Amino acid sequence: MTEMPPETPVEPARKSLLERLSIVWVIPAAALVIALGVAWNSYAERGPLLELSFQTASGIRAGETELRYRDVTVGLVESVAFTQGLGQVLVGVRLDRDVAEYVDDDAQFWVVRPEVTPQGVSGLETVLSGTFIEGIWDETPEGFIARHAAEAQAPLNREGRPGLTLRLRAAGMASLTEEAPIIYRGIEVGRIGRAEVSPDGSTVEARAIVFAPHDRMISSATRFWDTSGFRFSLGPGGARLDFDSIASLVSGGITFRTVVSGGAPVSANALFTVYPDEAAARASVFGAETGETLVLTAIFEENVGGLAVDAPVDLGGLRVGRVTALTGIVDAERFGDDRVRLAATLAIQPGQLGLEDGAGPEAALAYLESRVAEGLRARLVTASLLTGGLKVELVEVANAAPATLETDAVPNPVIPTAPADIADVAATAEGLYNRINALPIEQVMDSAIAALDNVARLTGSEDIRAVPGEVRALLGEARGLVGSEDTQALPARLSAAVGELETLVARLNESDTAGRLTAALDAAAEAAAGVDTALAGVPGLVDRLNGIAANAETVPLDELAGRLSALLDAADRLIDTDAARALPADLSAALEELRAVLAELREGGVVENANATLASARSAADDISAAAQDLPALLARARAVLDQAAATIRGYDASRGVGRDLGPAIREVERAARAVSALARTLERNPNSILFGR
Amino acid sequence: MEIAGALRTAREMGLVACTRCTRVWPGGTARCGRCGHRLHSREPKALQRVWAWWAVGLIAYLPANLWPMLETRTLVLSQESTIVGGAVDLARHGNWGIALVILVASVAIPVGKFLAIASLALGVRGGSALPRHRRQQLYEVVEYIGRWSMIDVFVVAILASLVQLGAVAQVSPGPASLFFALSVIFTMLSAQAFDSRLIWDEDPAPLAPPLPEGRPA
Repeated sequence: MTEMPPETPVEPARKSLLERLSIVWVIPAAALVIALGVAWNSYAERGPLLELSFQTASGIRAGETELRYRDVTVGLVESVAFTQGLGQVLVGVRLDRDVAEYVDDDAQFWVVRPEVTPQGVSGLETVLSGTFIEGIWDETPEGFIARHAAEAQAPLNREGRPGLTLRLRAAGMASLTEEAPIIYRGIEVGRIGRAEVSPDGSTVEARAIVFAPHDRMISSATRFWDTSGFRFSLGPGGARLDFDSIASLVSGGITFRTVVSGGAPVSANALFTVYPDEAAARASVFGAETGETLVLTAIFEENVGGLAVDAPVDLGGLRVGRVTALTGIVDAERFGDDRVRLAATLAIQPGQLGLEDGAGPEAALAYLESRVAEGLRARLVTASLLTGGLKVELVEVANAAPATLETDAVPNPVIPTAPADIADVAATAEGLYNRINALPIEQVMDSAIAALDNVARLTGSEDIRAVPGEVRALLGEARGLVGSEDTQALPARLSAAVGELETLVARLNESDTAGRLTAALDAAAEAAAGVDTALAGVPGLVDRLNGIAANAETVPLDELAGRLSALLDAADRLIDTDAARALPADLSAALEELRAVLAELREGGVVENANATLASARSAADDISAAAQDLPALLARARAVLDQAAATIRGYDASRGVGRDLGPAIREVERAARAVSALARTLERNPNSILFGR
Repeated sequence: MEIAGALRTAREMGLVACTRCTRVWPGGTARCGRCGHRLHSREPKALQRVWAWWAVGLIAYLPANLWPMLETRTLVLSQESTIVGGAVDLARHGNWGIALVILVASVAIPVGKFLAIASLALGVRGGSALPRHRRQQLYEVVEYIGRWSMIDVFVVAILASLVQLGAVAQVSPGPASLFFALSVIFTMLSAQAFDSRLIWDEDPAPLAPPLPEGRPA
C-alpha cells in the first residue's frame, strides 16, 4: 500500500428517481398489487347475505355450518344472532352469487339433523360433518329475497321431485303417521307430511305428496286407506294374518286404489279421506260420502253412553249423515254450570236431504235452519235394543221450545237438541232377569223329571207297546168299512132319500091339508056361531022346548056325551100317539144321520149336490116343522069348537025347554060330530093322512 | 471488543474492497481491476432493499395470520384454525406450554424480527438510542433466528405428511402456511440485505474522504 489511491471521480449529485430506487421495490409493489387484487376480487365475487330466522340454532355455528342445495354447498353461515326482542335466531348466510337469483319467494330452508325414524336413519352424514342448512327452491330465477323464515321440519318434497300434493283427512279409526310412506302395490310412491289436527278439532289432516309418475293414478275415484299394523282374522278359511309390509307394520302407512272407473283428475291440494281399512274405503264409493259435507255440532244435555263415531244421523228415518267426532264440552259461561256435555260433530250429506243435485253445504244449512224454526231438533235415540247403541235423529218435536240453528257458531253451526228418547233396555232386561231368576226352576225341573220317568215307565209297559198295533188294526177296519160297497153306495141312496123327501114336502105343500082343515074348522065355528044366533031368537020358544025336553029325556044324551068324550079321547090319543110324538125325533135323527153322512161324504164329489139337497131338505123340514106347529093349534081349535058345542048342549040341558026347536040343530051337530068322529077315526086309522092329505 | 487507539477501517483509509475477489482498491475505483466487479464501498441501495423485502414480508405476514394455517379433518370434526386461534384453543384446553411455543415461534419472533429490522434500518438513517454494540448484537440475533423461523412451516409440513389417515383424520396445510413461509423468506432476505457495517458508519470520528454516496450521516 505504498501509493495513494487515485482520486475518486465525482459523480453527479442528483440522479433520477428511477435510478435512485432499487429494483427490489418491484416485489413489494407486485405483492401489494396482488393482495389488493385478491381482496377486490373476493369482495366483488362475494354473494349476498341471506338472513334465515330459526326457532333454535341448534348445531348451527358461524363459519362452519354450510347451506346446501341438492347436497352442494352454496353458502356458509357467517353470523348467528337474535332478532329484535330475542324472539328468534337470525342466521346470516353468505350465499353464492350464482344461486342468489333463484332464492326467491318459494325458497324453503331447514336444518338437517340426524334422525332415527321407523323408516330408517336420515341425515346420517351430519353426524360427521355437523348439521347443515338445506335449502330448496325452484329453477326459475325470480329475484333474490334476503329474509326467509326457516321451516321447523324438513318440507314434504325435500328432493324437489315433481309430484302431486294432496291433503289427507283421517276418518274414524284411521291414523296418519308423520313421514309415513304411501305405498302402491308394495312400492313407495309418496309420503305423508306433517299431520295436524284439523281446524274443527275433530280429525287429523296431513299434507302428502305422490311423486310423479305415480301421481297420474290419483283421481277423484281414488280411495286411501290405512295399512298400518296388522289384522288377524279367524274364519272358516282358517286363520289369516294380513299386513302390507314390514315397514308399514312398524311405522304405519297408507295405500290407495282407484276402486271405480270414471274418476276425474284432481288438482293440487285436493282433499282425500283415509279410511281405516280397505273394506271401508271400497264401501265409501257406494255410500254417499261424496262431495262436501255440512258439519254441524249438536250439544246433548244427557250424558249417556252408546253414541259412537260413525253412528248414523237420521232424518225422517232416512240416513242423511253420520257422527264424525265426539267430545265433551264444559262451558260454564254458556250453560251456567260445570257439567260436561256431549258435543257430537255431525257430517250431513246435502245430497241425502232431498235437495237438488249439486246442492252445497250452504243450501243444506239454509234448509235445516228453516226446519229448525219449525221445530226440528236433534236428539239421541236408541239404534239397537240389543247393544244399546245410540244414533242421532233429526226430528220435529211438538211444542219444542223455540230455538234457532246457530249458523255463526265456532267451529261449526250448532243445531238445537231435544231430550233423548232412549228405551231403557237395561232396566227392562234387569227386571226380566229378576223374574226369570225368581221362577221355581228347580221344582219345575223335578216335576218334569218325575213326569218323564212316569212316561218312560208307561211307554215301557207291554200294553202301551201293543197300542200302535191295535190302532193300526182299528184303522184297517175303519178303512175296510169306508171302502165297503155299502158305504160307497150310501151317498147315492141318501141322495135318493132326500129326493123323495123333497117331492113329499112339495106334495104336502100342494095338497094344503092344513088350509083345508082350518077351513073345515072355520065352518064348524061358523055353524056354532049360527047355533048361537039361532039361540038368540030361541027364548021365545023355550016353553015349547020344555015340552020337547020332556020328550028329549028319552034321547040318549049320555051316549052322546060318552061318544064326545071318546072323540076327545081319540083326539088326545092322536096327539099323544107314539107315531106323532116320534115324528120330530125321527126327523131329528134323520137330520143327525144326514149330517154324519154328509161329514163323511164331504170328500166325495157329492158335497155340492148334498149341500144343495140339504138346503132343500132344510126348507122342507122347516115346512114340516111349521105344519107340526100348526097341528096343536088346529087341535086346540077343534077342542074349543067341541067345548062350545058341549056348552050349548049343557045350556039345552039346563033350560030343558029349549029341546023342542033343537031337533035340526042337534041333527046338524050330530052330523058335524059324526064328521068329526069320522075324521077322528080316519086319523086313528091312518094318522099320516093329516099330513098326506088323504 | 473494541480495540482502543489506532484502529481504522478501510473506508476511513479511503479504500474499497472488491466483494467478489476481495482485492482492495483505492476509494473511487469504479470496477475491480482483477475480476471486473463493480466496486462500492457500501451497497448503494442496501437500505432500500431492506425496506422492500421488509414490506413484502409484512404483506405476506397478514394473510398468514388471518387465514387458516392448518385444516384438520377428523371423523366428526372439520376444523380450520389460524395461528393465533389455534394457540388460543390450545391454551383454553390447558396446553399452555404448546400454546406458548406456538405464540413465540409464530407471532413473537416474526413480529420481533420486523421490529428489529425496522429499528436497525431506521437507526442507520437517523441514529438510535441503542449503542452500536447492542445493535450489532440485535442484528446477529436476527440473522441467527431467521433460519429457525420456518419451524412453523416445518411442523405443518410434517403433520400434513404424517397425518394422512384417509377419512379418519387428515391434516392439510392451509393457505396461511404458504404465506407464513413467504413472510419468513422475505424477512430473511430483508435481514440479509442489511449491511451491518452501516451500524458503525456513523462513527463520530469519520476521516477525510467523504462517503461516496453522499448520504447524510
